[in-house]
Amino acid sequence: MSTRKLVVIGAGMASGRALEHLFEAAAGEWDVTLFNAEPRGNYNRIMLSPVLSGEKSYSEIVIHDDDWYAQHGVTCRFGEQVLRIDTEAKVVEGENGHVPYDKLLIATGSSPVIIPLPGHDLDGVIAYRDLEDTNRMIDTAKPGAKAVIIGGGLLGLEAAAGLRLRGMDVSVVHLNGHLMERQLDESAGFLLRKSLESRGIDIYCGANSREILGQDGKVRALVLDDGTELPCDLLVMAVGIRPNITLAKASGIATGRGIHVDDQMVTSHADILSVGECIEHDGAVFGLVAPLYDQAKVVAQTLLGEDATFVPKQLSTKLKVTGCDLFSAGDFADGEGREDIVFRDPGRGVYKRLVIEAGRLIGAVMYGDTSDSNWFFGLIRDNTDIEEMRETLIFGPAYQGSASLDPLSAVAALPREAEICGCNGVCKGTIADAIQGGATDLGAVRAQTKASASCGTCTGLVEQLLQVSLGDAFQMPTAQPICACCDLSHEDVRRLIRSQELKSQDAVWQELGWKTRNGCHVCRPAVNFYLLADWPLEYRDDPQSRFVNERKHANIQKDGTFSVVPRMWGGITNPAELRAIADAADKYNVPTVKVTGGQRIDLLGVKGEDLPHIWADLNKAGLVSGHAYSKGLRTVKTCVGTDHCRFGTQDSTGLGIKLEKILWGSWTPHKVKLAVSGCPRNCAEATCKDVGIISVDSGYQVSVGGAAGMDVKETERLGDVATEQEAIDLSVAFIQLYRENAKYLDRPYKWVAKVGLDWVKERVVDDLGERARLIVAFDLSQSIYRKDPWAEHVQSAQAFQPVADLTLEAAE
Amino acid sequence: MDGPIETETDTFIQVAEVWVPKDGLLVYAAGDANGLGAFEEASRGTSFAKGEGLPGKAWAKGRPVVLKGFDGSYFKRVEAAKEAGLSAAVAVPVFDGDTLKAVLVVLCGDDANRIGAIEVWTENRDGLLMLDDGYYGAADEFEFVSQHTCFPRGQGLPGGVWAADAPILMRDLGSGYKFIRASAAGKAGLTSGIGLPIRVPGAKPYILTLLSALGTPIARRFEIWDARGGKAVLIDGVCEREGALWRDEGDGTRADAPRAEMWKGHIGQVLGSGLPVVMRSAAGLPASYGAFVGLPCYASGVMTHIVAWYI
Repeated sequence: MSTRKLVVIGAGMASGRALEHLFEAAAGEWDVTLFNAEPRGNYNRIMLSPVLSGEKSYSEIVIHDDDWYAQHGVTCRFGEQVLRIDTEAKVVEGENGHVPYDKLLIATGSSPVIIPLPGHDLDGVIAYRDLEDTNRMIDTAKPGAKAVIIGGGLLGLEAAAGLRLRGMDVSVVHLNGHLMERQLDESAGFLLRKSLESRGIDIYCGANSREILGQDGKVRALVLDDGTELPCDLLVMAVGIRPNITLAKASGIATGRGIHVDDQMVTSHADILSVGECIEHDGAVFGLVAPLYDQAKVVAQTLLGEDATFVPKQLSTKLKVTGCDLFSAGDFADGEGREDIVFRDPGRGVYKRLVIEAGRLIGAVMYGDTSDSNWFFGLIRDNTDIEEMRETLIFGPAYQGSASLDPLSAVAALPREAEICGCNGVCKGTIADAIQGGATDLGAVRAQTKASASCGTCTGLVEQLLQVSLGDAFQMPTAQPICACCDLSHEDVRRLIRSQELKSQDAVWQELGWKTRNGCHVCRPAVNFYLLADWPLEYRDDPQSRFVNERKHANIQKDGTFSVVPRMWGGITNPAELRAIADAADKYNVPTVKVTGGQRIDLLGVKGEDLPHIWADLNKAGLVSGHAYSKGLRTVKTCVGTDHCRFGTQDSTGLGIKLEKILWGSWTPHKVKLAVSGCPRNCAEATCKDVGIISVDSGYQVSVGGAAGMDVKETERLGDVATEQEAIDLSVAFIQLYRENAKYLDRPYKWVAKVGLDWVKERVVDDLGERARLIVAFDLSQSIYRKDPWAEHVQSAQAFQPVADLTLEAAE
Repeated sequence: MDGPIETETDTFIQVAEVWVPKDGLLVYAAGDANGLGAFEEASRGTSFAKGEGLPGKAWAKGRPVVLKGFDGSYFKRVEAAKEAGLSAAVAVPVFDGDTLKAVLVVLCGDDANRIGAIEVWTENRDGLLMLDDGYYGAADEFEFVSQHTCFPRGQGLPGGVWAADAPILMRDLGSGYKFIRASAAGKAGLTSGIGLPIRVPGAKPYILTLLSALGTPIARRFEIWDARGGKAVLIDGVCEREGALWRDEGDGTRADAPRAEMWKGHIGQVLGSGLPVVMRSAAGLPASYGAFVGLPCYASGVMTHIVAWYI
């Protein structure tokens, strides 16, 4: 494919950006010749002011260096004036010869306006436009020398601050009543003036220049209309720019204030495009960089034959004077139907003004605090409806509910000695040291510290520590938060409740950055469980954070009635209990009486208002709640064992009753069912329970993690023990380990699959100290929770008014 | 990254430490002892009451303190410092209003080749900034000139920082400036400088300047972050490896500028904790630098900027 010839006149920021787009989309397709009157290529002209002040060096603001031009095969003709364009022959004639073109891009920029005051041609009177002007100012600046700037706009004030920093005594003369009147209102202008004056710059607003005085051909002073004489060694005119159209006009290309272009940046000649400060589009000329870059994109697309349209957008402005933080965007003129929101903080020198029209933000002026300027500019540019956040709009995005406490803060705030990995006893300091030592991913941290190498529940915290230490160098895996109320996973919340010793829901909401006032129907029950499991003495169960069945202590049925299941220890009952149940069924017109799979009797169809009464009647017969509704111990199913069965090897019924008496009332992450069989024939179906015990001649086989619901799974052997007490100990320790570590609503089989049976065995079977601790912890918790909720409710029938909507039952 | 990682850098500042108040004492919180293990050990085992030792002195005086020559001074860790070859130190208190949040202490060695400057400037009776004290290593002439130079508001690096009430990073110190001090800086080989306001109780301004020479740089990378509004945006910076670090289209929005979130990464630590952060580790630092110092700047009770340097 043959290359096409593109000639570009002017190596400024607009044409430079157009070339970048062009080379990116069609590398090698264009043979480019670039003329530039300045003896250099494209640099960031906007950043000349920091070069003047010494806060940047010229090398830093070069956008395209020699290598870039060479790499893209651009023929550079820098420092060479273009004399004329032959639009008929399609040739550009430069001082050193002509160049033919297929397409021509005129980017001649703008020229500074020089006010034709008497004396304007004296030595020492300069404009402020390019690197030469900047270097001239740097050369002139010395401590004690005097400079006058005509023009209190962006460029004039940046020049003033830069020259002041270099030691000059500086005065700014401005025609208007306040500085930067095109970008700022009076209030912001006042603060800006105050700030500039505080750095020793004299400001003359409402001042008209009359004459420039000279001596020996060199500038000596500026005289104002009122006769004031401002001595100066340097006079800088910064009063505006005008499009540089001389060459285009002389070549017969249509011009007005600038070179006329259409929406595709094409001039009156089809093969000639124009871009930047030299153009006039739809009656407008341009001086800020953002629209120039938009134009550059359109130029490239037009050259590539693609459809593209230049649409002027909202503009924003910044003054590049360190310490003068101002921002201005949109339209902030007074007008009918427009409302202002103003915020002032005199102590900090902050002024913010927002202009609203028809529910939209149309303008913003800020001084002193511009940290949210991007956000406000986005609202203006996108024409966002701000009615709903109008009251707090002025305070920025942090007040709009979109920002939340960074979950990392909780981890970062932990002391070095805080334990992160409970399994292996690894504290934060050890992990942090490993990361600083070069362990930059989870695997390396695991290898070096053993943190998160066992059950893995602290993985989220370790990853957050990696992020705290490494920042963007660590890519955080997407963690599944509990719900939309927070950014933390179940495991992280559990870990942080423990390590930060959070003992109330309010503490959790605050310290872990909950985005809602007090959680939702998903997170509240989980947090409630985690708190009561970890802090049984300090935290009290919150009934309002429970699902409806747990609040009612009965299972709600599809017709709105409830089922009532009294506990039958180990499946054993007696005539008195059966009579009481029968009487209750009669008395309360219970339509259905059902024997359950857990070896007890279910009274179905009890009206809500009858619940306390039926409970009272059953209590009188010694019956207590069977917790058939709870995330807690449900049943311990047994066979008759050695009492009656000729195959029985141990007293399975007796063991079942003992276990149920120990475990009842405890809250667990999900429901827990046990069974004890008297022999391997397994009549109690122990091998599909959460904990199943099978009696054998030598003792007891304790197995865990079975399921017989939507998932069917056989239990796995936790351990074989010789005595009944050991079987009880293993069962209790296992359930307490489950309580301490599992995610809410994970059945034991799911939890064991996550942490691994070996991990469980290490703690429950092998480590006798840990087993003892678990049993003690369980007993401590049961000192609070081993009680009959029916009896409590009978005493004080309590009507709960839930704070969150908890009518949704979590899927089991 | 272009070049190999330099593991040993002969830097002007050799040790940096952060001391934080705890139970009425200043205790060691973090530091970069640059391999001087014995000195680090001595620091870890030390605490300072208000007015005691160098950190305690900065706390009590409520301003930055320069200490040159430890023998016979109030410096507590003299022996350890002597063994480590450290001979001067500067303590920079970080106040939030009247509350001391931390003291950053930097310690320097002393030999004929060590050039650099750590200066503290404050206002004199004439309303000009004059040198309060400074440590210059072997840059004797520059020290003399600095001691005899005053800056009005808005002039030179110290005066510019004073007027702007914001950190300023200056390039090419020795060229282009017509200050006598600039000429002396050029002769001494000082190439870049960073200045920042140190907010302390009372009305008197204190400006800290760090001037860096090529041979014994204070740092090979400097950064200034705008830290207002609970987030940080890189507004200026230079790096020996990566060149200019700032991104600015000139329209005030800085869409492409690097950003830091609270607690995330090293800048995030400064932003989140509100304290100076010192760390020695390549982990997470840009361009494979091995050590980091981040110092927060406060005004009217809020953090406004973070000044950071990397070695």
